[in-house]
Order: sequence, then C-alpha cells, then structure tokens
Amino acid sequence: MEITRILPEDCLCLIISLTSPADACRSAMVSHAFRSVADCDAVWEKFLPSDYRSIISSSLLSLGKKDVYFHMCFHPILIQNGTMSFQLEKESGKKCYMLGAKALSMIWLLRDTFMPFPWISTSLPGLSDRFPEVANINLVWWIEVKGKIETRNLSPNTNYVIYLVFKLRDRHTIEFKHRTVGLHVNDDRVAPWELRRVLIDPYRCEALYIRDRGDGWMEVEMGQFLNECGDDGTLEFSLRETETSNFHNRGIIIEGIELRPKDN
Amino acid sequence: MKSYIWLQTVDGSIQQVEQEIAMFCPMICHEVIQKGMGSSKNYAISLPQQVNPAMLSLILDYCRFHQVPGRSNKERKSFDEKFIRMDTKRLCELTSAADSLQLKPLVDLTSRALARIIEGKAPEEIREIFHLPDDLTEEEKLEPLKNATDDPRIRLLNRLYAKKRKELKEREKLKNVEVDEELVDDRSVDDLLSFINGDDGDSKGIKTSKSKKKNRRRKDLLKSTSAHEATKNHNKESNGLNSVCRSAEVRQILPSVGATTNLQDVEDDIFPNKNEFDDGDIDDEIDPTLKEKIDREVEDFARRLNSDWPERMQEILSLGQEKKPVHLSLNGKGS
Repeated sequence: MEITRILPEDCLCLIISLTSPADACRSAMVSHAFRSVADCDAVWEKFLPSDYRSIISSSLLSLGKKDVYFHMCFHPILIQNGTMSFQLEKESGKKCYMLGAKALSMIWLLRDTFMPFPWISTSLPGLSDRFPEVANINLVWWIEVKGKIETRNLSPNTNYVIYLVFKLRDRHTIEFKHRTVGLHVNDDRVAPWELRRVLIDPYRCEALYIRDRGDGWMEVEMGQFLNECGDDGTLEFSLRETETSNFHNRGIIIEGIELRPKDN
Repeated sequence: MKSYIWLQTVDGSIQQVEQEIAMFCPMICHEVIQKGMGSSKNYAISLPQQVNPAMLSLILDYCRFHQVPGRSNKERKSFDEKFIRMDTKRLCELTSAADSLQLKPLVDLTSRALARIIEGKAPEEIREIFHLPDDLTEEEKLEPLKNATDDPRIRLLNRLYAKKRKELKEREKLKNVEVDEELVDDRSVDDLLSFINGDDGDSKGIKTSKSKKKNRRRKDLLKSTSAHEATKNHNKESNGLNSVCRSAEVRQILPSVGATTNLQDVEDDIFPNKNEFDDGDIDDEIDPTLKEKIDREVEDFARRLNSDWPERMQEILSLGQEKKPVHLSLNGKGS
C-alpha cells in the first residue's frame, strides 16, 4: 500500500518539511508523486528563514521557494553597506554571516609613525570575490582584530562556529609562525574567557584548527557559540596577539570573520 | 452521570465513547455542537472513511490520556514516545485518520515520527519502506537541476546530464538515420532546458546564431574528428544552455554517433582543450583552484554515474561541500 495513497498531500508536505533540505532533495528522486510534494512551496518555505522576504530582493519573490532557497545558499548577499555578507547554509537553511574586514575593528601598534593603510582593494588577483576590500596586515607590531554581531540576527537553536578567514602572503612569512595569537569568542552574558592560543601556521602538522577553504583562503576556528533563542545579546570575537616580539607583522591578509552552523 | 457520544465507523459498526474523550477531536466536537449529532445510536456521528475501528481505538487511547488536564509535560512526552512505536504503515494510516478528525497534536506527533524515518535515507530505501513505484523516467532523473543561482557546479552537472540525455537519444536513433527526426527531438531538449534555465527568447536566439557561425568555422575540423572531440570543444562554453544549443547544432551536421559513447568520454569533455579556441566564452569567471576542485568533483560524479545513479547526483549536490570530504558508498547511505 503506497504511502501516497494513504496520506493526503498536505500531510506528506508536513512530513517532508520536518526533515531537512537535503532529505527533501533526495525525496524528489523517489517517485513522481513524492517529487511533486518534495518540490512544493509549502515544504521549502519551511526551510527558509522566517524573515527571508525582507532579506532578498523582491525580484526573487516570484521564483518557486525551492529556487529562492538555493539562490540564498549560493549567492551571498552584501548587507550593512557592503561590509557583511549573508547566505544560507545549504544543508540546514541556517543563516551564515561573514563580517568583512571593514566590519571589524582593528587596533594596531606601529613602531614608527609611518602608517601604511591596511586596506587593499581586490584589483590584485585571487583576492576576495565577496568583498571589495580586505585587510592586509602589514608592518605592525601588535594587532587586535575584533568583531561583533547581535545574536538576534543568528538562527535560533543553532551551534555556530566562528572562523577567521585569512591568507598568508607567502610561505616565508615567519612572523606568525613563531608567535601565537589568542582567539576568543565571548557573548555578553557572563561567560568565561575562552582564549584559544593558536599558531597561525597552516604548514605545520599541528594545525588542528586551520583548514583550507577551497576558494583560495584559509580559515582558523576561533571558537563556538550556541545560539539558543537569539534574544538581545551581542556576540564578540577577536584575534589578538599575546606575545610581543622584535619582529613586526607582515603578510597576513584577512578577508573577514565567518559565522556558520557547525557541521554534524 | 456520564454522557456518551455515539460514533459510527466506515464499516458500519457503532460504538459509544465517553463524551470528554470524544470531544477531544475537533471534528467530533463540531458534529456535536453544530449539528447536534451523536446523542443516540440512531444519530451516531459518521466518522471519515480513514477512521477504521483499529485507528479509532488508537486515537481514543491517545485522547483518553491527553484530555486529562493534570498531567505534566514529562508524562505526556513519555506517553507519546511509547504510543508511536508501531510499524510504518500503521503510522501512515494513523496520520491520515488523525488528520481527518483534525486532531492536530496527533498529526504532528505521527508526522515527526515519519519524518525521522525518512531522514538520511537514500531514495531507493524510501521507496522500499513506503512501497513507492520507481516511476520517474530516466529523463526525469536526469532533469537538469534548476540553476537559478548560476552555481558553476550545477552548470557542470547539467552538462553531464545533457550529455547523458544525448547518449540516450542517440541510442534510440540508431534505428532512424533521418536527420530531420533528430532536429525535432533536439528542439524539445533545448526548449526544456532554456525554460528551466530561465532564458528568454532573445538570448537564446543570439547564442544559436553565434554557434552557427562557429559551426561553419569548425565544419572541416568536425568532419575529420570524432563526435566527442567536437562536443568537447563546444562544451567549454560558460553556461549549460549555451553548451546544449551548440551540441544541438553539432548533431545536425554529424551523422548519428555510434553507441559506444560512455561516461568516460563525458569525463574528457569536462576537461577542455583550452588551446584550440580562444574565445570570450571560456569559463574565466571560475578561478583556477575552484575549477580544479569542481573538475575533481565532477570526475567523481562521472565515475559514480556509471555505477549508481542520479539519486547520488542529487544527494551529492545537496550534501557535498568543498570543505568536507564527500563520503559515498554503494549501499545507498548518504554521508
């Protein structure tokens, strides 16, 4: 006895909407009847964030909801004057943000008064295709990079991981290899300072937290945060040098800090 | 003094049920209040056909427990967990029955249970569990994935699909050598693709005229080389629709291709021969590292297309991320 003969279509829609976007795609490969349910708007509307209409441009609203979903997954939208990008994580439909270099606050100490401006534009090849500008940390003695985001902008009931997205200018930049940086994530409800000390050196074996993103950038995990109800609170994250040295820093390019749901 | 409500199931049998239990179901509530039914055997409420005596009994068990106001959430949850332990078919029937009685909490409970059953399963497993027919045609399984997003991976996958479709068609056409017939079929594939890819008439027109020019240029080349090489050149184009248009043109010029096409050739097509034609349509929007990654993924896909089928395709697309290795196994479990 076929399930599609027993269950009315709106029940099937409900059932599939309680699974996941990946499951809904697989369901569309099962049979004709299942496909028409698995692809329907009622299902995909449930996978979209509740405020999706205010996020995407109105021209997209005429698309089927499944198309809107995948559009939001594969096309990051620039928000906050082009300093942050937003997209959906495709397996779960949860919100992902990347704070571009311009959305972060950076404090640096210079040895002398010559201040090379840290921003560079993407006219150089292979740089960010997301943001017009990235931060090129150059000739500083000490740096702290901080960012924050309101937790109500994040998806509720989601475990987020925060990554610093960067690249080293070349293999031979020795400065970061020998000094650790502290990476920490803190929300303003009283939480212990979780300072993770990391050597930003992806070429060593102990690079536990560092990964290649596959788009020319690397990422280092800064910490994790469980967003429950996402009520009014602010999440802060920072990278800061924990040691001083006689060498100045040179050769790290920061695209931004990304928050995305944890892979299971 | 307890009052009872009389209910009649679809098989004709009538029973009486305590009022507070029966009234937990909105549909029954409505019948009693709005229509004054159910007060005696003669005026028994006719329940919907999805509610057979077995289902009614289950539903009444559920109502009997939950209509008691004093129970804690923990107790209710515990009851629910034990209650839904039944085989899949019963779960489906129960969902349907509860839905017809508008008993939403029970519908939610059973739906969640069924959702958990579906989660993580491959399409053929789902078919087996729910006794569904494998009635999608090969064409439908190879239907281009909607590329509203212009994701380069989707474009390449669509090209793979187009190739496979072409192969299927060519196998059929071994019987008919008429080029005219080929023309007709090509049009429908093009139309289908262009509709799905959202192109309007104008852009398509421009592209086909461009490709016609290229075809005239390449006519000599085509005649001396095999069909695969020609399509290889054509398929460097930057979007799926372009490539299909051009392949369609190619088909008109060449005689029917032999049936020896297989996906090994498809793989070759995806790694284009960049030296030969240097026109502006080459994929320069994908940067080399990303392109490498895509090529590797597509190679994987092509290999797997040979063994297990488009369900993997959808699965891979929906699951695979560049950052995470894609785990596939032939026994049908997703990663």
